[in-house]
Amino acid sequence: MEFLARLLHLQPQTFWMIAKVIIVFAGPLTLAALLTWVERRGSAMIQDRIGPNRALLFGRWRLLGLPQLAADGIKFFLKEDLVTADANKALFWLAPFLAFVPAMMGFAVIPFGRSLVQGGQTYHMSLLEPGNGMGMLYPLAIGSVAVYGILTAAWSSNNKWSILGGMRASAQMVSYELAMSLAVVAIFLRTGGYDPHEIIAHQAVLWNVIPQFFGFLVFFVCMFAETNRLPFDFAEGESEIVAGFHTEYGSMKFALLQLSEYVHIVTAAALIVTLYFGGWQVPFVAAPSVTLSIAAFVLKLVFFCWVFIWIRWTVPRFRFDQLMFMGWKVMLPLSLGNLMVQAFLMYRRG
Amino acid sequence: MAVVVKKVELTWVDRTYVIPVLQGMAITMKHFLKQILTRSRKRFTVQYPEWKREVAPGYRGLHELKRFEDGSIKCVACFMCAEACPARCITIEADAFGDLNKTQGFEEKRPAVFRIDMLRCIYCGMCEEACPKDAIWLRGDYEQASYDRLSMQFGKWDLMNTYADKDGKARITQDPTPSIPRNPTSL
Repeated sequence: MEFLARLLHLQPQTFWMIAKVIIVFAGPLTLAALLTWVERRGSAMIQDRIGPNRALLFGRWRLLGLPQLAADGIKFFLKEDLVTADANKALFWLAPFLAFVPAMMGFAVIPFGRSLVQGGQTYHMSLLEPGNGMGMLYPLAIGSVAVYGILTAAWSSNNKWSILGGMRASAQMVSYELAMSLAVVAIFLRTGGYDPHEIIAHQAVLWNVIPQFFGFLVFFVCMFAETNRLPFDFAEGESEIVAGFHTEYGSMKFALLQLSEYVHIVTAAALIVTLYFGGWQVPFVAAPSVTLSIAAFVLKLVFFCWVFIWIRWTVPRFRFDQLMFMGWKVMLPLSLGNLMVQAFLMYRRG
Repeated sequence: MAVVVKKVELTWVDRTYVIPVLQGMAITMKHFLKQILTRSRKRFTVQYPEWKREVAPGYRGLHELKRFEDGSIKCVACFMCAEACPARCITIEADAFGDLNKTQGFEEKRPAVFRIDMLRCIYCGMCEEACPKDAIWLRGDYEQASYDRLSMQFGKWDLMNTYADKDGKARITQDPTPSIPRNPTSL
């Protein structure tokens, strides 16, 4: 690292900061692009189909359909950029960014590996250093902001179906946020802090998923609602409301809306891994090396991304009143009870 | 008549919703692994342009006009198929035919024009049933598309050569039986 920094005439700290920004920006974005492929091929395999494989690289290499990503990119950039006549033009343009930027920002706080000590300097593997005072509250807050993108997109399109989609998205949002936050509060209580680095360090012996199983269940379900993924993707609905909030969107604006969903998956998977599955901790290895810890984190991340896709193609879509019922009458009491039991146990232990 | 829909009573295990979802995930994963581990030739999906589907023997696809060993057409222009055709897509114009020394010699007619409008054809197989000479057959070719309407008008030579190469027969564009049409008025 110092060698690379010297090569670029930068202080190692500055170099590491730039590198981290690139990693945190490009990592989830690349993973999200790959996820679009995994989703299409994976869903095809789950449904006994074959999936996209017609796009050829230089007219020759099929590569299991991976050139489809390049084809999609080219298509999205070259397509005509339509804005409907009665749309609110400014908001229509703003909405994809409102959806995309929060999705990207959530990952900033996640530690993706063990801290590295080199040349008397500690380098932390997360964009925001530990002790920044925001901790895990930051991704939760940012994650909720993403719904504004959907609402803006729905409202600005001036399309009945889109507005229905936006209405459903907002109905969804009010029903899961509270249960999700309470589930995370139970973890803060166990850890005695809300910094992701502390939370991960606390999970060295036992991953939070075991003592906090109900909290995990609630958080996991809420993450599906937050990413707008299939059991709870009320904002979209190809059979009822045409395509939901992005009915009027095309070309790169649509791609941004779609990509933000996949970046959200990556962020949600990272949150699940950090909060409940020990982050970069490797089971049965007390002090993993930096490379091993990063590999462990990426492996867990990829696994949970796959789980998101896997569940999407297993469970059919709920109605939004069913999610509201579940959110207020099942998940909220469950996570509240989990919090109370946790607090009681903490009190007993003294 | 009203249909009584029986309401399914869920057990408490089902009502937790977690275990049924896990069961469902196991099912989808089983399908996923099965599909991954089968060779692509053996999968359900036929990769169409490269691999074509074998049709059943009784399939009714593109028509063929049968010919004799020496190449002369079996059709005697009796108009039975044209009459039987519910879509009225067969056009036949008969041609008087007099050389009695050839295979087909005892016949008096053959089609001068035999045209099927494939855009109107409904592939019902009625022509095949109606034909007294087994001259028209519907066979397995199901890929029929073209960029204009005219090329969907299949003429006599198109229909006679439909399966020529596949069956190991030579393609012909001329009836080997000489035609000496008699003057109809001299009959």
